[in-house]
Amino acid sequence: MISYVVRRLLLTLPVMILVAIIVFLLLHLSPGDPAAIMAGDNATAEQIAAIRTKLGFDEPLWKQFALWCLALVQGDLGQSLFWGDPVTVLIGQRAEPTVSLALTTISFAVVVAVTLGVVAAANPGTWIDRGVMGFAVLGFSLPVFVVGYMLIFLFAIDLKWLPVQGYTRLAEGVGPWLHNLVLPSLALGMAYVALIARITRTTMLEVLAEDYIRTGKAKGVAARPLLLRHALKNAAVPIVTVIGIGVALLIGGVVITETVFNIPGIGRLVVDAIARRDYPIVQGVIMIFAGIYVLVNLLVDLSYTLFDPRIRY
Amino acid sequence: MTKIARRSILKGAAAAAAVAGAPALARAQARPPAARTIRAVFHGDVPTYDPIWTTANMAAYHGGMVYDTLFGVDATGEAKPQMVNRYGYDAGTKTWTFELRSGLKWHDGTDVTTADIVPSIRRWAARDGGGQHMMERVKDIAAKDEKTFTISLKEPYGLVLDVLSKTSTPVGFMMRKKEAETDPMQKIETVVGSGPFTLNLAETRPGTQYVYDRNPNYVPRSEAPSGIAGGKVVKVDRVVFVNMPDGQTAVAALQAGEIDFYEIPQPDFMAQLESDRNIKIQVLNELGQVGLIRPNFLHPPFNNVKARQALLHCVKQSDHMKATFGSSKYAKDTPSYFAMGTTMSNDANTDWYKGGQNFAKSKALLAEAGYKGEEILLMQATNIPYMSNSAQLLAQELRQGGFTVRIEAMDWSNVVQRRSNKAAPAQGGWNIFITSAGGSAVGHPILLAAHAATGERGWFGWPQDEKHERLRAQWSVGDTLAERQKIAREIQDNAWNFVPQVYYGQWIQPAAMRANIKGVLPIAEMIPWWNVEKG
Repeated sequence: MISYVVRRLLLTLPVMILVAIIVFLLLHLSPGDPAAIMAGDNATAEQIAAIRTKLGFDEPLWKQFALWCLALVQGDLGQSLFWGDPVTVLIGQRAEPTVSLALTTISFAVVVAVTLGVVAAANPGTWIDRGVMGFAVLGFSLPVFVVGYMLIFLFAIDLKWLPVQGYTRLAEGVGPWLHNLVLPSLALGMAYVALIARITRTTMLEVLAEDYIRTGKAKGVAARPLLLRHALKNAAVPIVTVIGIGVALLIGGVVITETVFNIPGIGRLVVDAIARRDYPIVQGVIMIFAGIYVLVNLLVDLSYTLFDPRIRY
Repeated sequence: MTKIARRSILKGAAAAAAVAGAPALARAQARPPAARTIRAVFHGDVPTYDPIWTTANMAAYHGGMVYDTLFGVDATGEAKPQMVNRYGYDAGTKTWTFELRSGLKWHDGTDVTTADIVPSIRRWAARDGGGQHMMERVKDIAAKDEKTFTISLKEPYGLVLDVLSKTSTPVGFMMRKKEAETDPMQKIETVVGSGPFTLNLAETRPGTQYVYDRNPNYVPRSEAPSGIAGGKVVKVDRVVFVNMPDGQTAVAALQAGEIDFYEIPQPDFMAQLESDRNIKIQVLNELGQVGLIRPNFLHPPFNNVKARQALLHCVKQSDHMKATFGSSKYAKDTPSYFAMGTTMSNDANTDWYKGGQNFAKSKALLAEAGYKGEEILLMQATNIPYMSNSAQLLAQELRQGGFTVRIEAMDWSNVVQRRSNKAAPAQGGWNIFITSAGGSAVGHPILLAAHAATGERGWFGWPQDEKHERLRAQWSVGDTLAERQKIAREIQDNAWNFVPQVYYGQWIQPAAMRANIKGVLPIAEMIPWWNVEKG
């Protein structure tokens, strides 16, 4: 197991190097000049050139890349071109809202989706099954921002139950923290619920058709333990795989959700940075997101051993 | 057993929540109450803490909180002393003498002296078009003592107070000597001003919220506030600039009472906001914005005056305004080169407008220009709705007027980068881009960089016209309003002949605020937060 983990961690290195190259080239070869943006409307070409020199953008691309990589391996993601603050500090300031949103969304999505999937599989072909699948199609089809605005209109403006926007730090109390996260988590979690509910239903239907389930039923095992202890545990591997893959979906959705609900997280940070061509922030955030994605998938792979003892690394 | 266990768990959870909530209580006591805190959303984010270094209005909004100006314009556009007490002009020596008023202190507690003011003026003037115009005529700026300084001129120049008091960016904010001596091309990072608010760095989160607390040591002038002139009496404890990029969320937050002020609700939301009795709409900038179409003088076809004149006959401003603002009462045409509603606005040489859109005339002018249907490149900033809409409409108008047009879609950042490229369009340059400028700046022949016709030394598009520059110089030494208005007519008459730019309309963007917000002072380009109360 340990050798497997070490091998997987070592394998992440080429992945991260590839990500670094792609991110760097995408940003530096795409149009847009931070120096021109920073210089402002009245700047002359000479002033823009002076800023470019000051920032080191007049150096050859390979040299800029090498300097960035050198700093990266020392844990230095650079400094924001606009704020001058270290990127790690800016990301640190924005990490809590994003992590909170991701965790509440995953928790909500997994609980609701697995429940819906199991219920649908237990009642195949019925109105419950069709209802759950209809909801799944709807959840997958509606964009996050549409769901977000609908939730805002209903729960914040019309019913006045929840706030429209913003984020309250966990240190200020669990209640206020959750109060601000309910609507964004619902909006972001819809697609996730749809994805997991569908895979849960499909996998459960396959498992429920297995011989050992029929044997269990014949021996008089009650419906609930049969579903939850015997069937669900054996259906868990594909479900956990989809949850892991869905993290990418979540990361993409976080950017939009944070904008719609004005959550000061990493998604907002990177959107603002892209508009300003604040390269160090964009590069830093993408590297961190890529690292998280790789690690989540490693954890998912490791978790298989919990659900299926036959799997060994 | 089970029930007891559940209760225990609930008790434990409640206790945990109480513990987690306790620090919030402690912090809440340190914060000003909501009734004395204003949360405001503007058109964008504060891009930097240095309002001299950039022309971004958000930086000027920040600057207006923490810094002060030597002079400030009042609601009528007249320059009034602000940090200055007494001042005078000696025509014989062509020297202005200024004395700072008493009680001015930086936020670090030190006195404001002329040792701070002189480098502040120099640094600001290095970055500002109006400042540069003034400095070309300045012989020396010198401190006479801690309170008195002089500006000696090489030649008579009537715009010193106009330039020092203007609200168009960069505004002439005064800084400590330490910051003021920073290279003008380098941003300052330390925020120590002498204005009515201080930046609370502990609670500020760049890109998210900027917290400004009332400066208890600020000594306001005794005059009534007007524009950015008069007494800056702060009536709340805190103002928070909330960066909220999504307009729909901002409108919802305003309606829910989560924010108190929203600077620019989109036209689509105006009816919704006007019908909400908890919201009031107020026009803060009567002159609004003017849409600018900039042709590139360096390359065909717009290096030919006939082709530029053809542009005038293609554009129907009311259509452009409808494309973005619908039938809004807040949008109008502006045939005047100096925008409608300004003191320099006039109707000289506006037959092209009175005659209406005329594609036949455009085609005839293109024929005179020798235009053979070469493709022109129009840059479209797709992430700014009014620019994007107008670019599409303009492309169609130009095609009907005889031009062959290629739209190149990009975001505003790309437009900003590409517009500085003087190469031919095929080599990365361009023919036309669309932008906008504040109506008050458009109404001033000197302060708007886009008004200069100094060729490649000037602003993007690089128009060149000696007569235009001669008239602008004459205007800057005009003694009376009537004299300046007469010269302004001549400038306009000439401008609509050589066509440095074409306008696509003028629009006002009213602000929306909670009904209990009172005392927001109307002024172009800035939003003062002194005098504002939350009832």
